[in-house]
Amino acid sequence: MAIRHDRKVSILDVMGPVMVGPSSSHTAGTARLGRVAREILDEDPVAVHFYLHPPLGATYRGHGSDFALVGGSIGLSVDDPRIPEAIRIAEQMDVDITFSEEDLGDVHPNTVRIEIRGKTREAEISGSSIGGGVIEVFKINGFQTRFKGDSPTLLLFYRDRPGMISEVTKIIAEEGINIASLSCSRKQRGKDAFMQIDVDSPMSEAALQRIRAMPDVEEAKYLDRIP
Amino acid sequence: MIESFAHLEKLAGGRDLADVFLESDEQEHAVPGDQILEALRRRRAVMRDCVERGKGGGTSMGKLVGNEGKLLNDAFLAGKTFMDPLTVKAEIYALSVMGENSRMGVIVAAPTAGAGGVVPGMLLALEEERHIDPERTVRALVVAGGVGSIIALSANISGAAGGCQNEVGVASAMGAAAVAYMMGGSTRQSIHAAAIALKNTLGLVCDPVGGLVEVPCVKRNALFAVHGLTAAQLALAGVESVIPMDEIVEAMVRIGRALPRGLRETAEGGLATTLTGCTIGDRLKNEANERRAERAAERERAAQERKESVSS
Repeated sequence: MAIRHDRKVSILDVMGPVMVGPSSSHTAGTARLGRVAREILDEDPVAVHFYLHPPLGATYRGHGSDFALVGGSIGLSVDDPRIPEAIRIAEQMDVDITFSEEDLGDVHPNTVRIEIRGKTREAEISGSSIGGGVIEVFKINGFQTRFKGDSPTLLLFYRDRPGMISEVTKIIAEEGINIASLSCSRKQRGKDAFMQIDVDSPMSEAALQRIRAMPDVEEAKYLDRIP
Repeated sequence: MIESFAHLEKLAGGRDLADVFLESDEQEHAVPGDQILEALRRRRAVMRDCVERGKGGGTSMGKLVGNEGKLLNDAFLAGKTFMDPLTVKAEIYALSVMGENSRMGVIVAAPTAGAGGVVPGMLLALEEERHIDPERTVRALVVAGGVGSIIALSANISGAAGGCQNEVGVASAMGAAAVAYMMGGSTRQSIHAAAIALKNTLGLVCDPVGGLVEVPCVKRNALFAVHGLTAAQLALAGVESVIPMDEIVEAMVRIGRALPRGLRETAEGGLATTLTGCTIGDRLKNEANERRAERAAERERAAQERKESVSS
């Protein structure tokens, strides 16, 4: 299910981002995709595996996408002048980096699947860099979604049951926060489910604690705008 | 939401075009107008810095380009250029930004990095040559961004999606509208400036040599900065595009879809597959493989050292 109104790309997205060159889709967008993986993992990575869709596999090296993907996955922003050094920095941090090609199906040419592992957790995302630094993540930890990283977002992993959506949205409403869009997906009725809620303004830690304390919530992650 | 250029013209009436875009963005993205302006002030400053750094020259990652801005600037300062200063400066600035971009320097994607020299080239040269208040340039960046955001409603802004028309073409349209605005033109004139610019880039393919944003991208940015200035000049004189802007964007999307894959940023056609293009492409591939082998050997050595230090 999905409630969305597709939003126009903002002025600042078009006249930006401020970034390290040379390519907004191959450098800035890929750095942001790496960063999304790092934010969802939410701890220092130990190993990152990038599966590049073949057209990206053919062009990524010349555009510095390898530096950018790695840079993002160790937490660098698109305008961080250390991006050209990202692979060396990752090696110093003892992060095991692997690149390989994988046909990801009927997707945008610049698409990547990222498996990222930390000491205690792991995460997986698939997403595309669609131009100008704009990204679309369409899979998070096996769940279909559409995440652009352009607004604060709550990612909820939970066990599917009736009433879940209304309980979560009630807490958000009580915070006085407006929901921009909400989408859910699940692997099977009554089993693992996922909810993504894009909000208009930042959420407080107290609200997050209340959501985390709800029955059947396995994990609630809050991501700010991905810079 | 501003849905189209026709809608924009109706909505704007006689109001300031930057205000119209700021209001629309504020409603849609909940970002206040003064925050947008503040961010764009910083971005204008990044563009300025980038131009200054780029004028110093240097070598690109692929070693194919990097000194174009410096060469033209040196010629300009020595009084050896024959075109008018506005045009020459637009070229110098566009080349300088692209030189920095090719060295992984910090730039502003406008709307993309590969087309990132066009808008600053046009706007910063005009600001300087016509002594325009920098704050007006910042508002012109709002107009440029607003025009781009309407185009982005129906088109993916990337060479991979539709060729260079979707990048440099869109940038020159954004810049043309912004220049018309800076020169005191009406909203209708800004829209026609964008239309005349974009229309005359249709079909432009993306065929980068070796897959790098170097050849033909760097020089192309300079040429299309001038192209955008020309379009704004025509529109300000009252010349109008017979085909409306919204239909031109539709045509761009259709042409992009019809372009073979080899001409959409894959480096598998056009200039990339000329004799010289292929030779350069092969050299780059070999160099990349060597670097990778070196890094792997280094990692191996480091692992070996760690093992030895543990066992001793």
